[in-house]
Amino acid sequence: MAKADPNQYVGLAARSKEGPRLVTGKGRYTDDFTEPGMLQAVFLRSPHAHARILGVDAQAALSRPDVFAVVTPEDIKRDTKPFRPGRYAAGLKKPIAEYAGAVDKVRYVGEPVGAVAARDRSTAEDVLESIAVDYEILPANTDVHKAMAGEDASLIYDELGANLAWQGTLEYGDTEKAFREADRVVREDLKIHRYSSTPLEPLACIASYDRFSRKLTVRTNTQVPENIYDALRDALRIDDIRVIIPDIGGGFGQKIHLIRKYVVIVALLAIKSGRPVKWIEDRNEHMMAAGHACEQHFDVEAAVKNDGTVDGLRFKEIDDVGGSISTLTIHFTNKLNNLSNTYKVQNIRADGYSVVTNRCPVIPNRGIGKPGMCYIWERIIDRVAQDLDMDPSEVRFKNLVQPEQMPYTTPNGNIYDSGDYPGLLKRALEKVDYPALKEEQAREREKGRYLGVGVVIGVEPGGRNAARDMAIFPEMKETPGSGGINGATIKLEKNGTIALYLGSPNCGQAHETTTAQVAAGILGVSPDVISTTTPFDSDVAPWGVAAANSGNNFHLYDIGSIIGAATQLREKVLKVAGHILDAEPADLEIADGVVTVPGFPRRKLTFAELGKAAYNNQSLLPEGIDAGLQTTFYYTFPHAQPNMVPGQDRRVRAQFTFGAGAHVAIVEVDPRTGKVEVLRYLIVGDNGTIINPGVVDGQIYGSAAHGIAVALGEGFVYDDEGQLLTITLTDYGKCSTAETPNVEVEHAPSPSKFTPLGQKAAGEGAAIPSPAAIASAVENALEPFGVKIRHLPLTPERVWQLIQEAQA
Amino acid sequence: MIPGAFDYHAPASLEEALSLLSANVDDAKVLAGGQSLLPLMKLRLAKPEVIIDIGGLAELNYIREDGDHIAIGALATYTDLAESELILDRCPLLAQAAVVVGDVQVRNRGTVGGGLAHADPAEDLPAAVLALDAEIKAAGPDGERWIPASEFFITMLTTSLMPEELLTEIRVPARDGYKSSYQKASRQAAGFAIVGVATCLKESADGTCEDIAIGVTGVGDVAYRAEQVEAALRGRKLDDSAIAGAAALVTGGVDPIEDVNATPTYRAHLARVYVERTIQAARAE
Repeated sequence: MAKADPNQYVGLAARSKEGPRLVTGKGRYTDDFTEPGMLQAVFLRSPHAHARILGVDAQAALSRPDVFAVVTPEDIKRDTKPFRPGRYAAGLKKPIAEYAGAVDKVRYVGEPVGAVAARDRSTAEDVLESIAVDYEILPANTDVHKAMAGEDASLIYDELGANLAWQGTLEYGDTEKAFREADRVVREDLKIHRYSSTPLEPLACIASYDRFSRKLTVRTNTQVPENIYDALRDALRIDDIRVIIPDIGGGFGQKIHLIRKYVVIVALLAIKSGRPVKWIEDRNEHMMAAGHACEQHFDVEAAVKNDGTVDGLRFKEIDDVGGSISTLTIHFTNKLNNLSNTYKVQNIRADGYSVVTNRCPVIPNRGIGKPGMCYIWERIIDRVAQDLDMDPSEVRFKNLVQPEQMPYTTPNGNIYDSGDYPGLLKRALEKVDYPALKEEQAREREKGRYLGVGVVIGVEPGGRNAARDMAIFPEMKETPGSGGINGATIKLEKNGTIALYLGSPNCGQAHETTTAQVAAGILGVSPDVISTTTPFDSDVAPWGVAAANSGNNFHLYDIGSIIGAATQLREKVLKVAGHILDAEPADLEIADGVVTVPGFPRRKLTFAELGKAAYNNQSLLPEGIDAGLQTTFYYTFPHAQPNMVPGQDRRVRAQFTFGAGAHVAIVEVDPRTGKVEVLRYLIVGDNGTIINPGVVDGQIYGSAAHGIAVALGEGFVYDDEGQLLTITLTDYGKCSTAETPNVEVEHAPSPSKFTPLGQKAAGEGAAIPSPAAIASAVENALEPFGVKIRHLPLTPERVWQLIQEAQA
Repeated sequence: MIPGAFDYHAPASLEEALSLLSANVDDAKVLAGGQSLLPLMKLRLAKPEVIIDIGGLAELNYIREDGDHIAIGALATYTDLAESELILDRCPLLAQAAVVVGDVQVRNRGTVGGGLAHADPAEDLPAAVLALDAEIKAAGPDGERWIPASEFFITMLTTSLMPEELLTEIRVPARDGYKSSYQKASRQAAGFAIVGVATCLKESADGTCEDIAIGVTGVGDVAYRAEQVEAALRGRKLDDSAIAGAAALVTGGVDPIEDVNATPTYRAHLARVYVERTIQAARAE
């Protein structure tokens, strides 16, 4: 059979297929859809951080003719069931029933207490004001340290008996020995704050229920169809569910978890009213209640030899998980993904504590716990360097996993597929001319200008293993899933064009462009004749547990399934063409959508001719072959063993591919105002084989910009009563383009040994090391003042305070 | 994020606007560019029953020379102010403040009169208006009156305009020989002022301060003149130590506000730094 060249279009910055549509306002988002008789919903939300619900009076709302349905806590309790505890709540000693809306109590400001479906949005908002809720206000819990000390102001879940809801330990190697034999122990307390990615499109949903067929259809902007599918089944006991996912205006993790609550309640409104119901979340609702990245406190110790070798790492992690138990351990278990970062340390112990608080529940956000894990490593390595009076890069070089060790198995069972970490770091230092930079820094300091350089490195895990969380719950009876499964469908149409259907939704990462490039090479057509169908539709999409715009899954599962489906389609094309052209399939060639018999220029078939034969002309088809030219392929990662499912040793492949990046941040700090300006930001990155460099660079720019903004001050601020003070983007403090540096990217790929094209992930990457890079650079700039950077964010006021404190 | 119901009026003349305002004095809000009022209405923090939209009154949209003053109609936008040759030439401080208000869209829609009448404590323009000794014209059922800027801003979101009065014009004395600077600290480029300082000064050839006016916004619950700083510098040689010493007086008699962007201590510190920096920047102009 003629050899396919899947690489024909790999590496080209092919023209974006979806870009022109999206940037000219022609994207089709959930809010762009209307259904006949559709109502508009709004949510009633808690103004209190912690209160008992004594009663809800919705009579005035219900009596209005333009109001078609109201949901109150009573309805939630009567008409829905709690969600099943998922993989992040499995560690609870006593299972806690969590419903889609508040029942009995509210546990954070903005928690949904009820909802109204009315003829139009303004009516619904008017009516909301007429619903009276009788609250008994309870003391708010906002400080994890108080919970750790057993000083809960009140119990958030009576069933738990304390707000410290979970604790557990993961240990690999022999940390006790490493610390016993260490020349010195370097210790630091660190903190990462609450933040979000604030996608431009907030949560959105349209639900409609056909009471005759008992089919529930929801159109929503979830990143993970499975979460919606399972939530609707759990809460409403409906099995026939169709999830449609149109264009999504940014995901970043914000649209994975809490969105299910709203979809369930909107679906309940649709069922009650007998009409389709639309709900579009407001910005301030999104800020209050759509989920935050976790505030994480770390107490870190490194066992160090005097030559800079780090033999052991121990850390205690306290997570402020907010007012829900459903994501109790998500930020802790994600530490397994990059637990040893780029380093060859063999002994690691992590003690995790999850504290429920009266703040917004935590959710996955770009990298989830991984920016925290990288922050732990990169801060402590800097501290080791200071302690030993070594250059921080020297300490890194001393401890990096070496390229000849690849594939490298980490103490917790991850297998690093490929990579040259010393090479990335060396190149980054060369690119900025590190020695010259240090000289410039010294010269400028003389003049009262404070420049700082931060050099860090981090792995970028890709392709999620659904069994990871069992590592902390070996007692878990039912596996929540394992490995990864996702599919793709490819169809050669009658006109010779190719329709491609993905098993995953797309949040704007140019999946249409990238997948067409991969399929085009295999099929022997131009990417121009390939179109990827949107929206995602669970009725027809070949989706599995890895069908998620999350977990850096796309490069592994979607690309894997497209390669599989396209390869099978090519084989079928050649069989049918061989039959019609009276030639051996193996002798045929395909180029530009034309199948030819080499040496016989007139014996050829275009894809259009083949399509017409395959769908219209049974007499032309070979015997024993199915008609049609459509293939569906479900991909599983063929190298998922060993360590796919953790055993008693708790070793598990948290993710399956590992890219990496060395980051250099050069900053200037104005010591009088504390303002930090990023003068230069450079990344030397390994994203494996790059399919479309334009797309990958876009991912890197976006994730670096986010990580930099996180470090420099974007974030959520609560007062002691649990009121959120940052409900608008103005107060939230996101960097605008004016504050965001130009991010320079150099690619130094080490193709993966485990993936068909050598591809690795690119979605989360730069958001993982960038907070650490900024922290390192600011600390370096303020070295003359003796300032140490431990806690993020570094708002101007915070930096100014640190200078004042250091000088006092 | 949809405002509650309201009655909408778009008067065709100032006279009609004033009579509508008098007729609805307890329930009405005046809408001009909508950049402050509409967000409040969408959050339902403001729920006016009557909206009087004066945005179409061309008679209030001008920037012109008026004797020894520059006259600015209430409906001139921030962009008009920032780009006006007359303003740039005769009282550039106004343009320096207007050009950093919000983002391009806000500057294109937001009006000078609307911004001043709203009296947000973090609005940029009040600092400049105060420093320039501007006067504000209020038109009401009983005719017109002039209010000095120093008497206009009462407290947060409150001015000395009477409920039945409309702000129709801002008048700024055109002075020669002054140099000026407006600088602000904000979270983002388009953000509100955590601290904003407008300084205009006149110095003699030997660097003696002949006159100085400093307007400060974002620090207290209302914009104010830093009179203690001015008094400490008037007639003094403007050297670094004199400037630094005087700048320390910027929050004398003022309680800096606390919000999510800054503590009172940091605000006071920033105000001092920005007074120093605007004086230096004005001198270097």
